[in-house]
Amino acid sequence: MAAITLQGVTKRYGSVTAVQALDLAIHEGEFMVLLGPSGCGKTTTLNMIAGLEEISDGTLLFDTTDVTRLPPHKREVAMVFQSYALYPNKTVAENIAFPLKLRRVPKAEIERAVAGVAEQLELTPLLGRRPNQLSGGQRQRVALGRAIVRQPSVFLMDEPLSNLDATLRLSMRSLIKRLHHQLKATFVYVTHDQAEALTLADRIAVMRGGVVQQLDTPEGIYERPANIFVASFLGSPQINLLREGLPRPDWVAEGRDVIIGLRPEDVARPGEGLATLGGRVELVSPLGSETQLEVALSGGSVTLRVPKDWRVREGEALEFGVDPARLHAFDAATEQRIAP
Amino acid sequence: MRLRLSYDDRSAAILVFPVLAVLLVVAAYPILYSFWVSLHDIVLTRPLRRPFVWFENYERMLGDARFHTAVLRTTVYTVVTVTVTTVLAVGVALFLNESFRGNKLLNALLLLPWATPSIVNGLMWKWIYDPTYGLMNALLVKLGLLDSYRAWLGDPDLTLFLISNAAIWKQMPLAALLLLVTMKAIPDDLYRAAKVDGATVFQRFVHVTLPALKPGLMLVLVYETMISIRHFDLFLIMTQGGPGDASYTLSWLIYVETFRSLRFGTGAALSYLLAMLTFLLSWLVIRALGERNA
Amino acid sequence: MARRLMLALFSALFVLYVAGPVLWLLSSSLQMESEITAVPPNWLPPHPGLHNFSAIFSAGDSAEYVNRGIAGFLPSGAANLLPSLYNSLQVGLWVAALNLVFSLTAAYAIAVIDFKGRRATLYTVLATRVIPDIALVVPMFLVIRNLGLINSLGALVVTYLAVTVPFTIFILISYFEGIPRDLYRASRIDGCGHWGALRHVYLPLSLPALVAALMFAFLTSWNEFLFALVLTQNVAAQTLPIIIAGFVMDFTTSFSFVNAAGVIAILPPVLLAVIFQRYIVSGLTAGAVKG
Ligand SMILES: Nc1ncnc2c1ncn2[C@@H]1O[C@H](COP(=O)(O)OP(=O)(O)OP(=O)(O)O)[C@@H](O)[C@H]1O
Ligand SMILES: [Mg+2]
Repeated sequence: MAAITLQGVTKRYGSVTAVQALDLAIHEGEFMVLLGPSGCGKTTTLNMIAGLEEISDGTLLFDTTDVTRLPPHKREVAMVFQSYALYPNKTVAENIAFPLKLRRVPKAEIERAVAGVAEQLELTPLLGRRPNQLSGGQRQRVALGRAIVRQPSVFLMDEPLSNLDATLRLSMRSLIKRLHHQLKATFVYVTHDQAEALTLADRIAVMRGGVVQQLDTPEGIYERPANIFVASFLGSPQINLLREGLPRPDWVAEGRDVIIGLRPEDVARPGEGLATLGGRVELVSPLGSETQLEVALSGGSVTLRVPKDWRVREGEALEFGVDPARLHAFDAATEQRIAP
Repeated sequence: MRLRLSYDDRSAAILVFPVLAVLLVVAAYPILYSFWVSLHDIVLTRPLRRPFVWFENYERMLGDARFHTAVLRTTVYTVVTVTVTTVLAVGVALFLNESFRGNKLLNALLLLPWATPSIVNGLMWKWIYDPTYGLMNALLVKLGLLDSYRAWLGDPDLTLFLISNAAIWKQMPLAALLLLVTMKAIPDDLYRAAKVDGATVFQRFVHVTLPALKPGLMLVLVYETMISIRHFDLFLIMTQGGPGDASYTLSWLIYVETFRSLRFGTGAALSYLLAMLTFLLSWLVIRALGERNA
Repeated sequence: MARRLMLALFSALFVLYVAGPVLWLLSSSLQMESEITAVPPNWLPPHPGLHNFSAIFSAGDSAEYVNRGIAGFLPSGAANLLPSLYNSLQVGLWVAALNLVFSLTAAYAIAVIDFKGRRATLYTVLATRVIPDIALVVPMFLVIRNLGLINSLGALVVTYLAVTVPFTIFILISYFEGIPRDLYRASRIDGCGHWGALRHVYLPLSLPALVAALMFAFLTSWNEFLFALVLTQNVAAQTLPIIIAGFVMDFTTSFSFVNAAGVIAILPPVLLAVIFQRYIVSGLTAGAVKG
């Protein structure tokens, strides 16, 4: 019961356009991630779906119902905030129970639901505490609990993990993924962390300056970036982009001004069917499982990730192979992908 | 067709309606009505004849000697009260900004004058100034500063300042508290930096404290001006405009004209003149302070 | 050492200046008329007693109070003091309560909701704060007289609302703006409308500001003189400041009695100020740092 459709949704703050004519169809039960740099309009989009920001232009549908002008408390969506937003004057149990209390759910039922959620999120020993007596990770679990206790069909999350330390972030990430499987609800998840996006998403919408650049599966986004912005936003280290020095794939017309992209990991020992490139190794950074290299080619310098058994040393010459099929080509003027 | 208002607009309309209604009835309407009244010759003892006279009331008052006296008295009183209040408040704020034992207690004590009703304030100082039984005479004679008892409030040269003194006593605390808050917000680093640069206590006050205090000072000056210019209670209790016309201020003139002579037309006109004077003065204070730092 | 000496000196001067006048008033109120009219005056009451106060509280009982011999004369209006105290209390409580109800909703709307006309509303409220009340008195008197509401405490309450509401709204707005916006968002998501957000988020989280607002409204109406003077003309409807002002201007009144009446009028506000000191200071200065 909850596909979300945005049709030409626009948000203007005075003369600033935060979100520009956004079209986005989010399927029922899908895990959609909105990914993009700071200030690109992710939060604004999420808030418009929630009803927390008025939509300046366009239409928002939940399934087939027009909810464009519906205030948030009528929309039946749940949301988790980056700042947790727990009510400081309520205990953990009261925080989780609050949405049900507002819906006049019978007391016994509320208690049962709160106990169930607490069990699921391992919050049972904390139920009597107040938010200021909890750690960040515990607070975020309470916020999750408050959201799932209503068993909503739409879940909105605005960078819920960005205030947590790295280890905690990983375990919360898998917790959220588990929740998605259990609840079968539609998730819209905002983040600027590509790893989070790639691991969690069914589909990712990459945004920039209030406009969606590409909407695709994580694999599609990574393998077939729609333009240079998307290509360089995902992938770590960043994709190498050179005008010259990398082989032109054969689907690119002769004479066309292009930029060629090479993902750092798409290299191998020279061999059959591979184009061979050579250059001087300028920097070697061992990363444990693999090694990162800076290699000066004729058209510029590239970053490569190679298996650690390559044993290269700085200053040496290096020859390596590139599969032309794995190269990315972009029009130099429009920066758009040139598809094979 | 139904007017399409969003849920937010509808809720806000309901939430602000009561306040706007009250303010409209009790502030906006009287203000406009009083302008209308000020254009009429209305005397309450002559209820049936109330001709429309355009700006005659204003013209007559602007030419009236009592008005000139009142403006002069009001100006002197306001300038003295505001200046002394502010200087005293800065001193008190500097003093309370120091950390020492009992500081909290003194802070609390500041609320005493602030909470005192102005009528009691007037009665209290009138009693202190009392020519025969008052504290002031007794104290000054005891300290050897005065040879014989005096009728303080009866001295036309002193009256205005003595009333002002009572006003200052009551008004200084709020000003001091406001300045204290502003002072507490000055980062310690600024003082430390100034100290490292070898600034003396006085230099630190002039170059660090005073500029940082400007927003607070501005607020205090404007607020105190607006309050002092309209003072009435003390004048009624302590002197009723006298002796002679020594404490005949604008508020007092308005009161006499309206509620003793029952000339409501001129009373309303005077009220407008006072309101304009208030705005003008506050504006001048803001301007003067704004420019010096620009 | 020098610093400590200076601080002690300043502290002494400070206490003398701030508390001295009130202490003398208190001392005078505890003396008999014969003691109070001694020259030079008694700094401390030679025989401290509450006789002036008991005279006030029994003034309504019998006629014999008029001449208390050595205790001096009571004004004929002395019997009005207790009723006026009750009037002041009544008006103060009503103003405090209504002021909060009105200001709370308006402050919430202005601080939280992004509605058409938000700025206009804010400026209207602020503008009424700068009108001098002496300029309001004349028209208010005419309006209320035309409505036949002179001598009604209700008219007084409404007038005081106009004086106190803008200030309260000002305090509450600056307090509300300090409450994290995400809490509001969370409450809306959880199912609160604007009433719900006000009740479940803003109300419980702004108790200090609410207490301060209540105090101001009560103190303002308790202390107010000019409107009360003009809008009430018979003693049954008059508030404490008016009755006391009457005593002061009546030359037959004994000093000890006036002083005791003054102490009675000072007591409630000072007690409130002491009890709620923390809230009052933070409330008073709420807008100062920002604005
Ligand atoms: N209330 C507002 N008034 C004016 N401009 C705003 C307002 N809120 C957001 N904006 C602007 O809209 C744009 C999008 O903001 P938004 O908060 O949606 O970005 P975001 O993608 O969530 O960024 P971040 O990752 O930093 O949270 C920004 O340029 C921002 O400056
Ligand atoms: Mg954001």
